[in-house]
Order: sequence, then structure tokens, then C-alpha cells
Amino acid sequence: MGSQEPERTPREASRAGWSLRRYMALFMGVLLVVAGIAALTVRTMAEQDARQSASVDVSFAAQRAAKQLKAGFDAITVLSAPIASDPTTAQVFANPSGCSLGYAPIGAFTTGHVDLIRFDGSVICSSIKPAVTGSNPIYQGQAWLLATEPAVIAPILDPQTGNQVALVLYPVPGHGVLAWFLDLAPLGPRFESDFGSGVHRLEFLITSKDGQTVVVRSIDPVKWVGRNLNGTDFLRATDPSNRPDLNGLRRIYAEATIDTAGWHLYVGADEALALSAADQASNRGLAIILAGLGIMLVVIFVVYRRIVDPIKQLSLVIRGSTPGDVATFVAGAGATEVTGLGEDFAKLMTTVNHELADRLTSEQAARVSERNYRMLFEGHPQPMWLYDVDTLRFLEVNNSAVERYGYSREEFLTMTIKDIRPAQDIPKFLELNAEPLPITDRTGPWRYLLKDGSIIQVLVTSNAVTFGDHGARLVLAEDLTESQRLERELAQSHAHADSNAEISRAKDEMVSMVSHELRTPLASIVGFAELLATREVTADQRKEYLAVMLQEGRRLTSLVNDFLDLRRLEGGHLSMRFAPADISALIMRGVELFSDPGSTTIQTLLPDDLPLVRVDSDSMFRVITNLLSNARKYSPVGGSIVVGASVVDGMVEVYVQDKDLGIPAEALSQLFGKFYRVDAPDRDTIKGTGLGLAICKNIVEAHGGKIRARSEGFGKGARFYFTIPPVREQAQTGDVLVVEDDSGFANLVEAELAAKGLSSIWAADAETAEHLMTKARAVVLDLLLPGLSGETFLQRLRAKHGEDIPVVVVTLKDLDPAERLSLQKAGVTAVLRKGPGTAAMAANLLARSLAPEEVAS
Amino acid sequence: MRVRTPPGLEIVRIVVIADDESSIRLLVHATIESDDFVVMEASNGAEAWALIQQHKPGLVLLDVQMPGRSGLEVLRLIKADPSLKATRVILLTSKAQETDVEVGLMAGADFYLTKPFSPLDLLTRVEEALQI
Repeated sequence: MGSQEPERTPREASRAGWSLRRYMALFMGVLLVVAGIAALTVRTMAEQDARQSASVDVSFAAQRAAKQLKAGFDAITVLSAPIASDPTTAQVFANPSGCSLGYAPIGAFTTGHVDLIRFDGSVICSSIKPAVTGSNPIYQGQAWLLATEPAVIAPILDPQTGNQVALVLYPVPGHGVLAWFLDLAPLGPRFESDFGSGVHRLEFLITSKDGQTVVVRSIDPVKWVGRNLNGTDFLRATDPSNRPDLNGLRRIYAEATIDTAGWHLYVGADEALALSAADQASNRGLAIILAGLGIMLVVIFVVYRRIVDPIKQLSLVIRGSTPGDVATFVAGAGATEVTGLGEDFAKLMTTVNHELADRLTSEQAARVSERNYRMLFEGHPQPMWLYDVDTLRFLEVNNSAVERYGYSREEFLTMTIKDIRPAQDIPKFLELNAEPLPITDRTGPWRYLLKDGSIIQVLVTSNAVTFGDHGARLVLAEDLTESQRLERELAQSHAHADSNAEISRAKDEMVSMVSHELRTPLASIVGFAELLATREVTADQRKEYLAVMLQEGRRLTSLVNDFLDLRRLEGGHLSMRFAPADISALIMRGVELFSDPGSTTIQTLLPDDLPLVRVDSDSMFRVITNLLSNARKYSPVGGSIVVGASVVDGMVEVYVQDKDLGIPAEALSQLFGKFYRVDAPDRDTIKGTGLGLAICKNIVEAHGGKIRARSEGFGKGARFYFTIPPVREQAQTGDVLVVEDDSGFANLVEAELAAKGLSSIWAADAETAEHLMTKARAVVLDLLLPGLSGETFLQRLRAKHGEDIPVVVVTLKDLDPAERLSLQKAGVTAVLRKGPGTAAMAANLLARSLAPEEVAS
Repeated sequence: MRVRTPPGLEIVRIVVIADDESSIRLLVHATIESDDFVVMEASNGAEAWALIQQHKPGLVLLDVQMPGRSGLEVLRLIKADPSLKATRVILLTSKAQETDVEVGLMAGADFYLTKPFSPLDLLTRVEEALQI
């Protein structure tokens, strides 16, 4: 299952790029800049255009004006030249009567007059004021009267009219001059009215030949005509086409020259005026742009409100949503696209909600199913694994594989599936693996190699699966070897079940047998008792009957005892007290019991170096005597029995061998069962409870040993042998050696010693005690012991280990004074009579006598 | 095998006791000992069958559980033998062997006694069987 992705916080930080608001602001900024640039450019261009237009205007006006002026001068020349050279003119000077001159507007010169003037300055003929003629010399003294060449003088004040005029002279040799007085004042306004009307408010300015004196100016002509321009800004300006006029107003100028008079004609347009018109136009443009921008702003605002706000809201809703709990979005006011988006989102969310719910369910189902599969995989009794089809590496293995193949899971995951095959099988495997395997494939048997090097037979079923992004195969390796073993086990378990049924049947049989075995002696006892009670019998008969009753009564007792013992042994209820014991001594005591001079001889083969064994002496003695009893029972009189012991495979093996009846082979296995009697005519008369060997078997097994019987067959004797464990070395040491055949009392003494902080070892007889003597520092001794007596043990102890070892005698024996004396001589610490408190007393005495030694050491 | 023959008399009737327990044989023998018949003892089935074939006894007391041939086997042999038509059979059993009793009675035993049995009771049965 994929892990949950970590929550991204803050989300805003992770959003690359700009918000729409920023984009809008940027757009507006760019628009403003562009609009500004456009406005400026338009303005500049408009101004340029205005200047251009003004310049065109002025140059046109200049040329036209110059042309008119020239035309005027030319006309004057055409008129005047013939007059001046005409001989009649001279007559006129002589006889002025009848002379008439007329002035008509000539070209630009609309007003003025033309005169014939004598050198003395008197006017002989004029186009104006006839009255004046010949009376007084108006132009007396004027330099120009003496002119010899035609000339134009301007500006000059006409004394006759008082006007500033342009004087055009034509000398009449010997008589005087023909003079044209052309009024200058109207010239400017006329030009102005002809060309200067319109937006540019043209100024017309004419300067004299030297360029410094104003001849004509359309603005304030009276004031300016004749003014010297030297030193004015107009003349000083570097750009002739754009300079301040005489009033300081900037104008755009065009220039023309009138050759006839040597005049300079300047036409100037008012720059400010021209520009103001252009500015007005550009301002209008600017206003339009601003208005456009305003509209744009409104549009953006509306769009923003109608698009961005709903989107933000949608975004908030989406952000607030968590998987499994998807918020619903109600689309508010907005652009249809946005509300549509909102609705679509809401629908999507609903769908997602459903899908999510479905998916959660299906995921849960998938998890459950995956868990089930995993359980199936992990818990499958056959080894299973998953391997990568490309690398052949193990990807997963189940517990069974780990158990069966011996490799740990970690080891498996570092291996490939080649590694579990014997080297000689790999080529065949690779050959088979070279072709793509079918989805499901079943091959085998293959040989697989376990970690311990053993080889098993395996039937392989594999299925193609995907594991993450790997192609993989899931393999079930059916273990044929294991199957065979399991089959065997199954057979065994069936056998076991059979044996259970056997046990149950055996129990029934047992009940029946016990019943039979008990009823038989009972029948005799009850029967004879009845006979004795009801009949007159002879003394001999009574004796015979009573003897049988006694014998059967005893048999019944031992049967019941044996049977109870066996039940206790089988149930583990018979308490045994294991202690080190000298097995040879036990055997010898048994042999003594059965050595019956004149009957069977018993031979013993007991090595001296037999280790002490760990046994319950009473039980072990019972085993030994039982085997001896059997051997003697089944050996005819005069037969021989051999009893021996040896160390075999770390265990002490004891055997009892007879050389007589023997046991049939088929009976050997049943020999240790209950009430089993070898069914043969030659032993019909041999009595027994039929429980002896069963009891022996249980006792030996309780000691951790085994009991077996071996026989070559009928008449060839039998050998019974059993094993018992030797005593471990550390179990042979203690502070106090307790020599006591009564295990209950020994137990009590040991407990009391333990209470005093003393450890102990127990020996059930003196022979064993002799072996253990070196391992203890003090002795608790019983005098009445099986085999070797306590007194003898004491003497040997003193002889071997000196007088220092404290000995406390605890006995039931009634001691006469001589015996007490000899004990005292032997240096006994105390002689206690067995009874309540004796054990504690003995422990106290020994603790006290050992204490100084404790301190000393 | 023990045969006690009353002195000076021809063998009138023969009773065979078959039991592997000598004390039981002794008890039965002591109980039914009489001048009217001869008592023979057998300690197992085979021995009993040999005696029965040889002496054609009027009555056989058979312990059901014996080593070798069991009492039931001997009973079947008796019933299968035409020459032993007159031979009566009493089974001696332990109570636990009830099935044996049924089998025995079905196989033709005349009576059975369960151990421990009363000797007087046994004597009554023997006398009935021998119609004394």
C-alpha cells in the first residue's frame, strides 16, 4: 500500500508563477507605457507636421510675395525706361504744361505716386496734387536727385506725402529724374491679406539691401519701417528658419530675395500657434487613449471579479478538501465558463466522492484479499517464493521455504534461483528459462539443493505475476522428498492411531486379565475355605488346603502390590529418590538373596572400576532381584546364571544371562508387557504375577535407561540387560555424607543439614558411601545397612581417612555397652537413636563441629 | 495327569478337569472327589483333549482361559465328535469373560460357573450332569 504523501505547506509557496491579478497589473502597466509613448510620439509627430506645414506655408507665401514685388519692379522698369529716354520727356522739363502722370497699382504696390523732378528738387509733373507743381522745390537737396543710374532707394520718407516709401529712380539726363514713390506701409497688410490669413498668422518682413533696415513689416508697419535691425535677436539667431521675430515671438521663417531692389523677404509663421493646433490634436488622441485605458480597467475589474474570485473560491474549496471528505462547491456569480467550471467541479467532486467511497471499499477489499493471499503465501505448508524474471533473484520467500531449505530470509533475498540448484542442473534450467514461460507452468521433478548440501526432488508450479514494476513468477515448490517423508509420517501416525486403539484394547484386555488373575487365587482361597467350613476333612487335607490358601493368598497380595506399583510407575506416581549408588554392591546383595546352595549357581562378572550410578536403590534392587528370580525360575535345577556389568557407550549396562529355557523370537517384543507369559508346555508350572518385567521396564526407563532381552531361541538361554546412567561428577560432592538405607529418613537429615547451610550427599549403603567418602567432610551414619554394616564402614573410614572426620551415628539398633564403647573408640561425635528430632539434632551437632573448621579455612 | 482310581472297582464314570491353575484343579478335585467316578486332571487344552479322546468322560470341567488350546476350542472338538455325544461340559470362567460364556453355551456347554465359585454349588452341578 502506498504511503500518504506529506502535506505541502504552505501551498502558496509552492505555486510557481504569478497570480492573475499580477498579470493584469503588468498588462495595465505595459498598456500605460505604450499609451504614454504613443501619446508622446503622436505629439512629436504632430508638432513636426505642424512645423512642416508652417514651413511649407511660409515658403509658398514668400515666393508669391517676392514674385509680386518683382512683377511690380519689372512693370515700373517697363514703364519708366521709355519715358526716361523719350526726347519728349526733355520737352516736358522744358515746358511742363500739359504734362500728366498717372499712377495705377503696379504689382504689389497699390499706392504711391510718380513724379518728374528737376535737379533743384522741384516737381514739374506729378501723378498727385497738380497744384504743387512748379511751386516749391519739395525734394531740394535730396542726394538721389543726382543719380545717374536707375536705382531703388528704400525705405525713405517722402517729404511730399510723409509716407515711408520705396523710391525708384530713373534719371532723365540733363533735366532731372523720373521718380516713383511706392508706399511701403500698405505692402505688409496686403501680403498678409493675400497670403497670411489662416492658422499661421504670417508675418511679412522685408529688409533693405544691407539687410539691416526694415523696409516693410506686416505687423505694426508704421512703427517698424526704417528701423535698424542691427543687434536684434532676429539677426543673431543661428537657425534662419526658426528664430524669434522682432517682438520676440518664435516664428518659422522662409526667405526670398528681390534682385531688382536687393531686398530680403522673410515670411514667418507663429510657431506656438502652429504647435498649439498640433498639441490640440495630440491631446485629443491622448484623451482617447486615456478613455480606452479607463474602459480597459473597468473590463479588467469586471473580468477579475467574475473569473478570479470564483476561481479563488474554488481553489479554497479544493484546498480545504481532504481525500475521503470532499467539500462540495456551490458555484456563485461568475463568468459562465467559471460557473460551468464550478459546477463541473462540484459534479467531479460528487463523482470523486462516490469513486473514493468505492475505492475505499475496494481498497479495503484489496487489503483483505492481499492479507489473505499473504497469509496463504506465508502459511503455505509447501515452500513458495517470488523471483524476478530478469535477474532471477528471490523477491520473497515464505516460512516453509526458510524452514525447508535452511537459508534465512535475508540469505534468500541475496540469492538467485540458480543458487538452489545443483551446478550440473543449471545449463538445463537456463535452456528452459531462455524461452518465455507460459503464464502457469508446471515442471519437474527438479533437483534442489538445501543449505546443508542435501538434495531434494521438487515439482515446480510457477505463475507469472507482477511485483512492483518487476516481472516476477510466484513459485510453489512441491517437495516430493518431503511428501514422501510426510506419507511415511502419515503412515506412522496411522500406525500410532492404531497403536492408540491397541492401547485401548490392551486396557480392556488388561481389565479382563486382572480380573482373571485375581479371580484365580481368590477362587482357590474362597473355595478351600468353603470346603473347610462345610466338610469334615482329615488333618492332612486341612493342612494341604490351608497351605494352598496361604500360597494363593500371598500370590494375591503380591499381584495386587505389583499391579499397584506398575500403575504408579506408569503414571509416574511412584516416588523415586535418585542418589549415587554402587551398582556392584546392589547386584551382590541380590545374588546373595538367590544363592541357594545345591540349586542354581550364580556367577558374577563385576569390574572394580565401575562408576557409581544414579539410581533409586530400592527400585534398582527390585529390578535386579526380579531378573535374577526370572532367571532362576526358568532355569532347571543345576543350571547356571551369569550376572555382569560393564560400561557401554557412557552408560552402565547390567545383564543377567541364563543358559536354559530361552525365549522364542516372537515373544521377545511382548516380554515386557503385562501378564505376558511365554506360552509353552515346558513352563506351565512356573508361577508369577506376569507383571515383573513390565515393572522392571518402567523402573529402568524412569532412570533414563533401556531394558532388552535377547535369546537365540528355545532351549538356548536368554540374556536380559539394561542400562543406567552413571553419576555426574558434580553430583558426588557435599559437606556431609548421609549413609542411610531409609530414603525417607535420609531425606529428613538432608533437609535439616540444608537448613544449617550444609550441602549433603546420600548413600543408601555403606559400599556406596565408601566411594563417596573422599568428597565429604562429615558423616551421618546408620548402623543397620544392607550389605556392609555401618560399623565396618566406620572402621574402614578411620583406617583410611583418620580420626578427624566428625561422624554422628543415628540408628535404631539397640546397642550394648561393648558396642557403645567401640563406637566411642572409633571417635564418633554422637550416637543418636532414631526418633522425632534426631535428624535436626544430628544436623546441629555436625554444623557445630564443622564451624571452627569453616572459620579456620 | 493324575488318576485316582477307587480300589476294587471298575471304572464307572470318568470326569476330566482341565485348568492351568493347579490350585483350582486341586479345589475342584477335592470338591467332587467321590467313589462314583474317576477324576482326571489336565493342565492345558491339548492335554485335556488327549484325555477326553482316550477315556470318553461323562463330564468335562473346562477352564475357558488356558494356554495352548482354550476351553472353547476343546468344547467345539467335543461337540464335533459323535463318539462324545454323551459327554457333558461345564465351563469355568472369570466373570469378565461373559462373551466366552455365551459362546460356550451356544457351542453346547451344559453349564458354567464363574470364579470364584462355591464348591458345593459345583458339586450340585456335577451331580446333575452325571445324573447321580
